[in-house]
Amino acid sequence: MKDRDSYPKFAVVGHPNKGKSSIVSALAHDDSVQIGNTPGTTQIKRGFPLRVDGKIVYELFDTPGFQRARRILAWLKEHEPVSADKRADTIRKFIHNFRDDKRFRDEIELLEPIMNGAGIIYVVDASKPYGAEYEIEMEILRWTGQPSMAILNLIGDEDYREDWSRALGQYFRLVRTFNPLTAKFKNHIELLESIAQLKEDWTEQIKEAIEILKRFHNQKIDRTVEIIIDTTIKSLSYIYRQRIKSKNATKEEYRIAFERYRREIIKYEKKLEKDILEIWKHKNIDKAETPPLINEIGLFSKESESIFGLSQRELILTGASAGAIGGAGIDLAFSGSTFFLGSIIGGIIGGVGAMVGYDNLYNIKILGQKIGKRELIVGPIKSVNFPYILLGRALYYSSLLANRSHAMRDSLELDDREFSIERVIDSDMRKKLEKVHSKLREQKEVKEELLEEYRKVILESFKKLI
Amino acid sequence: MYIKNSTVSIKSYLDLAQLLQEYRGSHEDNRAFALKHKNLEKAPTKLLLKWLDKNYFRIDGELNSKRYLDYLLSISSVLGLIFFILGFVVGLGLLSYDGKLPVNVIYYLFIAVFIPILSMTLSFISIFSSDRVAHLITLLFPLHWIEKVLNYLPFRKKLKGFKVNLLSFKLSKLLFIERIQLFSLIFSIGLLLSLLIMVVATDIAFGWSTTLQVTPEEFHKLIRYIGIFWDKIIPSAIPSLDLVEMSHYFRLGTKLDISMVHNADKLGAWWKFLSMTTLVYAIGFRLLFWLFIREYLKKQLEESILSLKGVDKILREFRTPYISTQALQKEEHLKIVEAKKDVVVKKRGAKYQTILGWNFSKDEILLANDAKKIGGADNIWAVGGSNSFNKDLEIVKNSSGVVLLYVKSWEPPTMDFIDILEMLVENSRVKRVEIYPLGTIGRYYKNEPEHIDIWRRKIESVDSQKVWIVNHER
Repeated sequence: MKDRDSYPKFAVVGHPNKGKSSIVSALAHDDSVQIGNTPGTTQIKRGFPLRVDGKIVYELFDTPGFQRARRILAWLKEHEPVSADKRADTIRKFIHNFRDDKRFRDEIELLEPIMNGAGIIYVVDASKPYGAEYEIEMEILRWTGQPSMAILNLIGDEDYREDWSRALGQYFRLVRTFNPLTAKFKNHIELLESIAQLKEDWTEQIKEAIEILKRFHNQKIDRTVEIIIDTTIKSLSYIYRQRIKSKNATKEEYRIAFERYRREIIKYEKKLEKDILEIWKHKNIDKAETPPLINEIGLFSKESESIFGLSQRELILTGASAGAIGGAGIDLAFSGSTFFLGSIIGGIIGGVGAMVGYDNLYNIKILGQKIGKRELIVGPIKSVNFPYILLGRALYYSSLLANRSHAMRDSLELDDREFSIERVIDSDMRKKLEKVHSKLREQKEVKEELLEEYRKVILESFKKLI
Repeated sequence: MYIKNSTVSIKSYLDLAQLLQEYRGSHEDNRAFALKHKNLEKAPTKLLLKWLDKNYFRIDGELNSKRYLDYLLSISSVLGLIFFILGFVVGLGLLSYDGKLPVNVIYYLFIAVFIPILSMTLSFISIFSSDRVAHLITLLFPLHWIEKVLNYLPFRKKLKGFKVNLLSFKLSKLLFIERIQLFSLIFSIGLLLSLLIMVVATDIAFGWSTTLQVTPEEFHKLIRYIGIFWDKIIPSAIPSLDLVEMSHYFRLGTKLDISMVHNADKLGAWWKFLSMTTLVYAIGFRLLFWLFIREYLKKQLEESILSLKGVDKILREFRTPYISTQALQKEEHLKIVEAKKDVVVKKRGAKYQTILGWNFSKDEILLANDAKKIGGADNIWAVGGSNSFNKDLEIVKNSSGVVLLYVKSWEPPTMDFIDILEMLVENSRVKRVEIYPLGTIGRYYKNEPEHIDIWRRKIESVDSQKVWIVNHER
């Protein structure tokens, strides 16, 4: 029993549809919580423990909203004890008497964790005017005698926080604003720091929880960076081999080889997206009505290049500063058009013009192994811009997910005005990246120290975005 | 049948590589496993082997290790036999005595001392040289060519279907070198056996002869050097200078030296030296070198096992505490029941006998009436809010005719509201209840469509012909 009570617990309570589940979803990093605009979406209390190796550090409870608060308060007042210290017992008595009464199911679900020692986090929508009817709920909560705080959630456009703060201040020790839809990790930590002040006994444990969550967050960042690097290196060093029938490859053989080559690289990107979703625990994002828009902008499209790639000027600077591969000048000069042609490949393929584009995008070789056995070899990609397009897409996609609150239920939206690879990866950083990119283009081994430098640059760029 | 992997071996390496292709576990499972074996915290390889033993059943189909080791065993058995026979036959050839000329011990020493030392030196260089040099050295060993030939036999079929090289070049190289030592050892055992049989079964006269200008003293010195390892233990296995002198012969002429003929019975004494040479150089040193390579291979396997694709993830998960913030129990999702009728009307009633305001004060109701140009009601009452439930019951009882019920559109209907509404419906004097969701004063009472949807869904569940929602804004 002692063990069960040895960690802090918090019940998120309030009027129906005020964002209790959204707050729990954001704080628990769990997008499986059903959030609906229908009152009564949450029917039973649900615990969200922060566990480290199975040991619970604290637990949040999502609870149903008050439904018949007025009648409960009336009952409590009827049975009001002589002194305030006995009020909690009256609540216990109420729970005991009405446990099987369906009318008070929601109230019992929300009061039970509180009477088992949970602190109260009372949620209101401060974008709507204050109403005296809330005082009934606050009064019931006051009767429990548990430490409590209120959260002002701004669901709509209006702002009535001042009115709410004045009223809530009379019932709750702390009043804080927290928007679960826009909250980032630092807001989450700030809220926990406030919660830590609720009860002295909990302060150390909540501080420990904050440290754990920071570690958890850093783990996610490190894993993301690792996956971005792994995917970039795999994509940039990928080589596709295809047996050809005659001495030279036919247009059809070229087309098939390029298609398969591209498909494989796209597959790597898809895998990256899946892994990033998993790392940031956005399990249900793919169930959103609209798929992430990034998927609609093909990796090999002109649009992708213009959003995620480097500008012509930066490309020339990058290529020159890194002492890029032989013939880079030609490659740079054509790099814009290669992607234009690359995008054409996605749809209509063929033509001599397109072949020029392919030549500039990939390394192409035809090798004779044995008599009668010849191979068309496509890759690695020699465009200086392509690694930045890959990195840009991966960093942008990852930052969208890292910054996305788990309370969000709409699809991922891509706003290209927000993103610029040149802002995220400056020219000094690009010099370091280019050392690795050029090695990969030349199919040379990349030394550990270069990779470490690469990792630091990507980590720094990712941190700029989150 | 699966045999557990207690130490790192080719088998455990291959099993783990195969398992990692199919399964890498979740962070939660891997961390739980590591915590269960906390005593192995500082022994990642052993922990990995334990993890492999726990999860081997997840490998789909035949174990690669079984196929590869079967192949290795088959080809090695044949090669072992070949090398033994080869050693034996070489021994017989070197020791064959036709009775005319003695058996030249220099040939034998070449095979039993020089070749083993050369082969071990090359093997040693190969271990630490680059892949290209190591490959060139490999070409010098007969094993490489014999194996190539043998691979045309059905052995190779066992490896059919393997898409990737099972072992890295470094491991393949070490395995090859290890096998060279083993087969050379077997060859030398065959050689020693043939020497012993020949010594027992035939009367061999040993001698030594060379084109080089080597005096018996110099040759004896060389022999002393060769026999330095057993000089003190078995002195009789070192030929004396006299024996060396009397064993020296020259190929020119058809007759042997007369002293040689007179001492023919002593010439056979070389066999002890040759036996010890074979035992120490070809067998003893080879055995030690073989054991060294085996250990080195094991060490390399340990290193390679840690660099297998996927191992870094598992080791990281072993070390990193598993942090979870999510709910253990699944959520019971709310079922939305489809409505039988649309309760939302765009036009409100012309006249109301009763006007109620849920969670509104009377002043607020009057303000709303004014804004919406509604008047002439017989009764205007505030319900909900700070009213007691009994007071609301009284108001409901006194309500009649067409009732307009203001509600705050942004506040979803609670069951408290539904209770009052149901009682209104049950009141026979009430003909119709029009719920009018108002927006905030800040929005000039204009409501938001999603709020009307919330009200609609809840009111539809009341399923009454008397209740309607008025939505002018639509």
